Amino acid sequence: MIPITTASRVDGRLKVTGGARYAAEFAPAQDNVLHAVLVQSTIAAGRVASIDTARAKQVPGVVAIMTHENAPRIDLGKAGDMTPGFPLLQDDRVMFNGQHLAVAIATSFEAAQQAAQLVELHYNRDEATLLMSDNPTGTSVPQRFRNGMRPPASTRGTPQASFDAAAVKIDQIYRTPIEHHNPMEPHATLAEWQGDRLLVHNASQSVFGNRKALAGFFGLPEDNVRIVSPFVGGGFGSKGVSWPHITLAAMAAKLVGQPVKLVLTRRQMFTSNGYRPKTVQHVRLGADRDGRLTAVLHDGISQNSAYGEFSEPVGLASEMLYSCPNVAVTHRLSKVNQGLPTFMRAPGEASGVYALESAMDELAWALGMDPIELRLKNYADRDEHEDKPFSSKTLRACYEQGAAAFDWKRRVAQPRSMRDGRLLIGLGMATATYPVNRSEAAAKVRLQADGTAIVRCGSQDIGTGTYTVMAQLVGEHLGLPLDRVRAELGDTALPQAPVSGGSQSVASISPAIREACLAVRAQTLQLAAGDPASPLHGLDPEELDVADGRILQSAEKSRGETYQALLARQGRAAIEADGSAKPGEEKQKFSMHSFGAQFVEVAVDPDLGEVRVRRHVGAFAAGRIMNAKTGRSQMIGGIVFGMGMALTEATEVDPRSGRVTNATMADYLVPVHLDVPEIEVIMVAEQDDAVNPLGAKGIGELPTVGTAAAIANAVYHATGQRIRDLPIRPDKLIDGLSI
Amino acid sequence: MDRIRFVIDGEVRTVERFDPTRTVLEYLRETEGRCGTKEGCAEGDCGACTVALGELVDGAVRHRAVNACILFLGAIDGKELVTVESLAKPEAPAHPVQQALVECHGSQCGFCTPGFVMSLYAVWREGDAPTRSGIEQALAGNLCRCTGYRPIVAAAERACAASDRSESRRVATAEQLRAIRPTEMLAIEQNGRRFLAPTGLDELAHLVLAHPDAVLLAGGTDVGLWVTKQQRRLPTVIYLGRVAGLADLAVGTDRIEIGAGVTYTDAMPVLAKYHPEIDGLLRRLGSVQIRNAGTIGGNIANGSPIGDSLPALIALGASLVLRRGPVERTLPLEDYFLAYRKTALAPGEFVARIRVPMAAADTRFRTYKIAKRFDQDISAVCAGFAVTIRADRVVDLRLAFGGMAGIPARARACEQALIGQPWTQAAVLAALPLLTQDFAPLSDMRASADYRARVAANLVRKFQIETSGAGPVGVLALAEAQP
Ligand SMILES: Cc1cc2nc3c(=O)[nH]c(=O)nc-3n(C[C@H](O)[C@H](O)[C@H](O)COP(=O)(O)OP(=O)(O)OC[C@H]3O[C@@H](n4cnc5c(N)ncnc54)[C@H](O)[C@@H]3O)c2cc1C
Ligand code: FES
Ligand code: FES
Repeated sequence: MIPITTASRVDGRLKVTGGARYAAEFAPAQDNVLHAVLVQSTIAAGRVASIDTARAKQVPGVVAIMTHENAPRIDLGKAGDMTPGFPLLQDDRVMFNGQHLAVAIATSFEAAQQAAQLVELHYNRDEATLLMSDNPTGTSVPQRFRNGMRPPASTRGTPQASFDAAAVKIDQIYRTPIEHHNPMEPHATLAEWQGDRLLVHNASQSVFGNRKALAGFFGLPEDNVRIVSPFVGGGFGSKGVSWPHITLAAMAAKLVGQPVKLVLTRRQMFTSNGYRPKTVQHVRLGADRDGRLTAVLHDGISQNSAYGEFSEPVGLASEMLYSCPNVAVTHRLSKVNQGLPTFMRAPGEASGVYALESAMDELAWALGMDPIELRLKNYADRDEHEDKPFSSKTLRACYEQGAAAFDWKRRVAQPRSMRDGRLLIGLGMATATYPVNRSEAAAKVRLQADGTAIVRCGSQDIGTGTYTVMAQLVGEHLGLPLDRVRAELGDTALPQAPVSGGSQSVASISPAIREACLAVRAQTLQLAAGDPASPLHGLDPEELDVADGRILQSAEKSRGETYQALLARQGRAAIEADGSAKPGEEKQKFSMHSFGAQFVEVAVDPDLGEVRVRRHVGAFAAGRIMNAKTGRSQMIGGIVFGMGMALTEATEVDPRSGRVTNATMADYLVPVHLDVPEIEVIMVAEQDDAVNPLGAKGIGELPTVGTAAAIANAVYHATGQRIRDLPIRPDKLIDGLSI
Repeated sequence: MDRIRFVIDGEVRTVERFDPTRTVLEYLRETEGRCGTKEGCAEGDCGACTVALGELVDGAVRHRAVNACILFLGAIDGKELVTVESLAKPEAPAHPVQQALVECHGSQCGFCTPGFVMSLYAVWREGDAPTRSGIEQALAGNLCRCTGYRPIVAAAERACAASDRSESRRVATAEQLRAIRPTEMLAIEQNGRRFLAPTGLDELAHLVLAHPDAVLLAGGTDVGLWVTKQQRRLPTVIYLGRVAGLADLAVGTDRIEIGAGVTYTDAMPVLAKYHPEIDGLLRRLGSVQIRNAGTIGGNIANGSPIGDSLPALIALGASLVLRRGPVERTLPLEDYFLAYRKTALAPGEFVARIRVPMAAADTRFRTYKIAKRFDQDISAVCAGFAVTIRADRVVDLRLAFGGMAGIPARARACEQALIGQPWTQAAVLAALPLLTQDFAPLSDMRASADYRARVAANLVRKFQIETSGAGPVGVLALAEAQP
């Protein structure tokens, strides 16, 4: 069993010394890289009537301007133009403002940039729907909700009738805006052709996903495409799918017959790689006077592009979070001329739980009940939607431990009743939940003659600590200190692993690595026991153990030898084994989710509407935490992500042109130091033997869920104003504040 | 001189023939192949490109963090450039700030990390163990999307608590900097575009007159973005940073005179001494990196309606000394702004100094910055208020606002109505409706017109409350009070 450790990350030194290399920092072997700069559409719908590249081509250093007229043809295959990888300069259609319409390729970045500016585009405009309405009409039903794995709507019991008959009702609409991931590293791709083989360095959350997409587009066997991505400067979902710029870089390299590097500008990051779509969510809750839920109805509409389909699954938590016999959830889409939305940290839950947990808070007020008490009254002991037991659920302890640490009982129930001088003080809470995901993965472990080990797995480390967890697993199983284990990832030349998304990486790759480790270990022990020259000769491998780089007898630890000694004698360069693992029956038997409780104290300036979070306590139960140090840092990061969602973040779109107007880090407001208060994270102990062999549920997304609701609920408590439209900016609050 | 020299990793580097507006970040990543310094935005917003610049001050090397992405290469002539790679050679132990970041898990994806390392390095070099709020300010210009900042703050505390700050190279660096100290004008020219850096005031005056179309470059925190964000190709840039006469900071009996080339960081302690209020405002202007490069002169000359220092300076009755050729003239600051982005600066003229009068003992002065985010955000409304009360009556009142009109401006009607009145809540409430005569604010991305109007009125009310015994009230005043 792997104990919780607090090891510092193994890639820490590389990162703090500037030695970690990100996609934009690779160069082809011959120093012949060309630079590509994207030209983007300035209209939202229509066709390209003509492109004048004459002036652009005159810029010294320009090699080519790739447009839909000269771009290599690619195979859109079965996916057609519905994939997120579209559009790819295959025709003259324009479907959103910011669509890539040309690529300037030059010997220097500056020349490419200058040329890109000089490309003249002329359009035939079509009517466009630029913004999703706050009250959308003409919505449509998703065709491939959750990849077609389940229908977009569900009903149990008699939700409408029960709601109509309920003694106490909440019936409200909640809205969340477009948000952008804004990882600190801009997306970057370096594409290099060697005959019909393609090598791509890419900032990626899914090297194997990228490989599949590129192999498909170029009609190549997957083995001909290699994607490399050793370090990724954050992704949060934005680097999960194969966005057009990746393919365009490879097309450009093909067009000019030279390696091409394409780095997105921060501004382009607002139109090139998806976003969390705007949602309009109608939530209705019915309850009896004791606070027992009698009906939950959650109707979500999310923004979709004019091509492709992405549906934000806002209602899934409402199906299972509380015990209620009558539940209905629907998902619909509102089509606009903008790029395709995508997964963003806690997709579905981040937006959906904001609505549900705000409504629960409203219900608590309507009932005159303490918000925690209301949640406990409706505590679901099993998943009533799937009609299965939870593999584990320790939410009750999250409420208890969080409330105790936060000192929830000091809260005076009446809104606007707590003050600090002139400031209004509010306390709020909300529940967090996120499903447990897992996919098939493979790994290779190699114990070497010099007593070090290498673990290889084509996963990614997007900052979450995959390198460290991989090394740690090998260290534990082979009895090696971390500095004698090297982890390799982010490369399709390594054994296959899934996308780093849905908080599934650790849960997916760990069992595979474990299996490989156990095989190496067994072989090694066998070898020692069978080697007449070994001090362990003749012992049953069952009696042997490994520790501190040695093989030893469990009962008498001084008897043993080093790996080096054994392998040298055996004349072996290494002992190597593969491991692979995929989810088993557990998903059929259990409902698997992690849970948590968020507690927030805010101060509101009644004159200005400014909100400041003063304190945040998050208590989370997510199975085994593989590394308390990386885990804690990730949880704090997740909470702060939720704070941005609650208070500052929103992508603004010009209603006349469909252009993103705040496409900079100065205007898209991610939280900064001063926005971030004391944050206390409580890791609630939870043992889960069913979820996967390690009992680890994943922690990357859970802490983002519920944060916005807890803040909105605290703001209500402080001011008596319910903001049902994120973010809670001062100008939304000030109306009701005047004293 | 047609080349620049600077110290990097203990060596003197000479660079010639480069694009006059090439940035230090481009130079580092492309020419030096030093990719530790990252580009996250190229607009000064994220801090991923932070490097430290070393300069000789009173014979010793002083380091300050700046954003390499908007810093033109010509501006580092004669200085030391310290990047993340400088702090630890591959086989050597990591620097204490680097080590602390590892131990406190202040790095996840790591992309922001080199920038944080350099910001922390500059703090560490300062010597004293900083306070929590000192650390937060030092790091305000560095964005991190992964860690939620707390682990980084912990790392800062740990690194700066360790006492040994000796760096063996320091003395040698001072020697090198003395040896390459610029003494004559620098002129970099490529493809008909120029970077000119005079050293004397008269030389500057002459140059500006000779090149009335040249762009004057002070800290470049506005001008840098013209190049990186708007992709303008500036034909002639005249750099003010080496003009000795522009860097003076003089305190007289009745006023402070700030040379137009003085950075915020250098001006702040002096301003804070005589006008403590303005310090709180300037600490929220940009970030440490921005204030280490940017100047009040640039804030004024830029002519933006939302320059944060302007309302405060107008409320204090500041004036400008403008110079054209050999001729100087003085102008009240509020008369400098004519219309949206139009100023009284004549062609060939430049801002030489800013004069800030000392406040009368019975004058009370406050500043306010209202933005959607607490750090690193452009104001929706910014204000500087000064009231003088004698014999229980208002004898002087200046209510200056930014963000309420196309230029920074005073609320004249409202002020007039309060002159001669008692400084009471009732009197203020009675005068506030006049703000609608003074201003018709616009709606934009930062705030709605309605919000601006309401906040402007509430700020005046807040000012009255805060100057009538209550002391500062606000969510940030409170944050600072917390340990
Ligand atoms: C990330 C970031 C954050 C920022 N935050 C803020 C903020 O919070 N509040 C705020 O007010 N501003 C902010 N700014 C804007 C900028 O930092 C300030 O306006 C700063 O004062 C400009 O000074 P500078 O020395 O850098 O000017 P420069 O960029 O060098 O010059 C600005 C303008 O003034 C002219 N100029 C400079 N000196 C003179 C002179 N002596 N005579 C005549 N003309 C001259 C230049 O030609 C140019 O037109 C921010 C900028 C960035 C990049
Ligand atoms: S790259 Fe973002 S501040 Fe320089
Ligand atoms: S560690 Fe990823 S942005 Fe800071």
